[in-house]
Amino acid sequence: MMKLVLTLLFMTAISPGMDFVAMPGQSPLIQFRIVFRAGSANDPKGKAGAAAMTASIITGGGTKTMTYQQVLDAAYPMAARLRDQVDKEMIVFSGSTHVDNLDGFYSLVRDAILTPGWREDDLKRVRDDVKNALRLSLRENNDEELGKEVLYSLLYKGHPYEHPSLGSLAALEALSMADLQAFYKEHLTQANLTIGITGNYPKGFVERMRTDFSVLPKGKPSVLKLPPLAPLKATQVTIVQKKTRAVAYSFGFPIDVTRDHPDFPALLLANTWFGPHRNSGGNLYQRMREIRGLNYGDYSYIEYFPNGMFQFEPDPNLFRRSQIFQVWIRPVEPPTAHFALRLALFELERLIDKGLTESDFETTRDFMALNVNLLMKTKSAELGYAIDSKAYGIPEYTSYLQGALKKLKYEDVQKAIRKHLRKDRLQIVAISDNAEELKKLLLSDAPSPMKYNSPKPGDIVEEDKLVSTKLLGWKAEQIAVVPVEEIFK
Amino acid sequence: MRHPFFAVLLTTAMLTAAEPRKIFDYPYQQHDFANGLRLFTVPTDYPNIVALYIVVNVGSRNEVEAGKSGFAHFFEHVMFRGTKKNPPQKWEATMKAAGAATNAFTSDDLTGYHATFSKQGLASILELEADRFQNLDYSESLFRTEALAVNGEYNKNSANPTSKLSEKLRETAFDAHTYKHTTMGFLADIKAMPDQYAYSRQFFDRFYRPEYTTILVVGDVNPDEVKALVQKHWGGWQRGQHVAAIPAEPRQTGERKANVEWPVPTPPWLAVAYKVPAYSDETKDTAALDLISALAFGSTSPAYQRLVIQEQKVDVLGGGAAQRVDPSLFTVFSRVKAEKDVDSIRESIVSTLNGFKDTPVETKKLDAVKKNLRYQFALSMDNSQAIASELAGAVALRRSPETLNKLYAMYEQITPEDLRNVARKYFIENGRTVVTLSGPKAK
Repeated sequence: MMKLVLTLLFMTAISPGMDFVAMPGQSPLIQFRIVFRAGSANDPKGKAGAAAMTASIITGGGTKTMTYQQVLDAAYPMAARLRDQVDKEMIVFSGSTHVDNLDGFYSLVRDAILTPGWREDDLKRVRDDVKNALRLSLRENNDEELGKEVLYSLLYKGHPYEHPSLGSLAALEALSMADLQAFYKEHLTQANLTIGITGNYPKGFVERMRTDFSVLPKGKPSVLKLPPLAPLKATQVTIVQKKTRAVAYSFGFPIDVTRDHPDFPALLLANTWFGPHRNSGGNLYQRMREIRGLNYGDYSYIEYFPNGMFQFEPDPNLFRRSQIFQVWIRPVEPPTAHFALRLALFELERLIDKGLTESDFETTRDFMALNVNLLMKTKSAELGYAIDSKAYGIPEYTSYLQGALKKLKYEDVQKAIRKHLRKDRLQIVAISDNAEELKKLLLSDAPSPMKYNSPKPGDIVEEDKLVSTKLLGWKAEQIAVVPVEEIFK
Repeated sequence: MRHPFFAVLLTTAMLTAAEPRKIFDYPYQQHDFANGLRLFTVPTDYPNIVALYIVVNVGSRNEVEAGKSGFAHFFEHVMFRGTKKNPPQKWEATMKAAGAATNAFTSDDLTGYHATFSKQGLASILELEADRFQNLDYSESLFRTEALAVNGEYNKNSANPTSKLSEKLRETAFDAHTYKHTTMGFLADIKAMPDQYAYSRQFFDRFYRPEYTTILVVGDVNPDEVKALVQKHWGGWQRGQHVAAIPAEPRQTGERKANVEWPVPTPPWLAVAYKVPAYSDETKDTAALDLISALAFGSTSPAYQRLVIQEQKVDVLGGGAAQRVDPSLFTVFSRVKAEKDVDSIRESIVSTLNGFKDTPVETKKLDAVKKNLRYQFALSMDNSQAIASELAGAVALRRSPETLNKLYAMYEQITPEDLRNVARKYFIENGRTVVTLSGPKAK
């Protein structure tokens, strides 16, 4: 009997249900992050974009009792707005309000998420918005983000992560209201829900939310079993043909390291030395931009970081159980495109062959221990990181990273580089107006000497000789040209 | 554990008191040094972090010489090329040691340099920055390389049609004033930048002077300590004499139109702009124009409701008056879903603004907008860097945070009659410029 009771208790404890991350404080700004552990990876077959459209109609549509216009009218004087973010495994609804307006704003948030209006005219508008976000904001008007998303799609071929979180144009066109309702019913459930709140909210507010959100179906966790990624047999180059001034590159490969992996701090340190986001101190940035003036910047990543051209810190709640190592080369002038790619690969090889110096290790470690505080400079970010830490099963992020950095040894970083990074079997994506010519150049393996507008120091002249004659050894079947119209169809 | 209690008490009071309190209500200390340098220190209770913004009142507005468009922005890049004492590597190392995130930005009226870091780094960073603002020293070779990075910046922006739309709008709307060019500058001038080394030294000598510069230190700091550090490292900086002669824009005498042909398929874009006066916190114009932009095209406006939500003919609609040192533009941007609707959307935008000339706005609607503006401001001030960034904009215009308080107080005073007067004065055909952007015509 006792055994049965214990079993029941244990089951209650582990049975999935609504979760809370509550961070009460003195700030009059109340921030919400309402997170569902489901995302575009859960889009049903042929319905790529179901998660994105469902989230969009919740934040960009009416509720059962109010039209979208009425929602906007009510929210306007509070200057408060509910936003959504959809990634592979998380859907986030976030917003902030002054405590003066907490009741008014919360009721809008609650009704939007719990009783969406499902109106056809909202669907029509939201469909246009999501299609334009995919077709224009991503595919046509932002070569750099396009390169990154194509890289992800190619590396995750046949995997639930394959399609962009926004979906595909054809599937978006075909999605019906019933599809969105089905997605909502299956995935926006208590089992997937974590509610985060911070600020000077009144006593009992968390309980009020718990009661309100209990109307969601209990559901089952939507976490999918992710298939292993089939490794590339050889490097693949995909050149997207698009009318554009310059040539943008992204390249990379999948890694086994996510935030909860024991090697994460070591690999993050290596990456922070090599290509920290929008930081002029990174090695890649120094070698490519500062010394040679090839472009506006060059960075690398071990976690997904969308919209990097618009922001300096990553958004939280982009939890993924699979990540890639990625290098981002900002657009280069077409005559230097061959050289720039060779140089980026040369630097990656040097990182793998030589790693960091002990002094680089120490300065990077000390930088990271302080810089991590800046990631938490807003309460909303702190809340987001706390929710992510729960998802990854790690302690609070700042102390987790600072603690790990304290213990980290130089050799750990060198080992992590050799273990997780590689020089070959890369997926490379280029966006270029002259794809066939770039393909020919790459296949020719001909020297690509650099001409600068000013003299360079002797060591750079010598290094350039090596870089410009670096043999890539690629064959025709390794390089594909794809017209931009074919992307995300 | 310290709390941002000042923010709590004051922001709450501000929003609930019958008589609105100051919108920017952080206690701050201002200090004017003998050489013309100005310092604002704003202690906040966000722990450990300090945001340092150094604002120079020079921007693309100051680029009066032919062939020099984009130079203020280019010079922002050059400022990272080091001094004798602190070559770039050493600068990076000092910033790294404080865990700093650093960057810079340029607009029409200002160039801003910022670093956000752990408070232990304050003294070393104030010293480091004082050195480059006073002793910048770079070789011609490094200068020429940096010019290429600016070209790279133009390239990365160029895939977005709105960059080109703004470029064309300014070029069309202005004749003499330097707002004719964007902060990036004309492409031909960017291409010629590598050859401007001598001019760059002159530019530094003219504008990187204490009387053009304001330092903002916001965060976990002690004002007296900051003042002493600034005195020590910046006090010896020599005042300059240069004042740029910015040409006045002649009165526009007729409507202007232009079109941009975009090389890849895109839904058409539309910009409808009117000439409006310079930023002012003393007269009602700026405040009234801000309120009109929200009433006319905000998410609760009849135009938004009709064009975006009901008819769904556009998916982007919005705009307003640029707050600038000199007379600038009130611009409404829209992305139109179908080419055939461009004309009717243009007419809708024009008639919406014309409507303000005759029909008085309901007080209730006006009050909702005023409330929105105040809460928007309060919600944006959620960390030390955001506060410093907000103040940097104010410094560009009036070299003081008080201009925010004056402007928000002015919003409160605006009546429906004021809106009518301002609409009649500025939404006139002779002051209008319309620019469209469209993709390749179907064959």
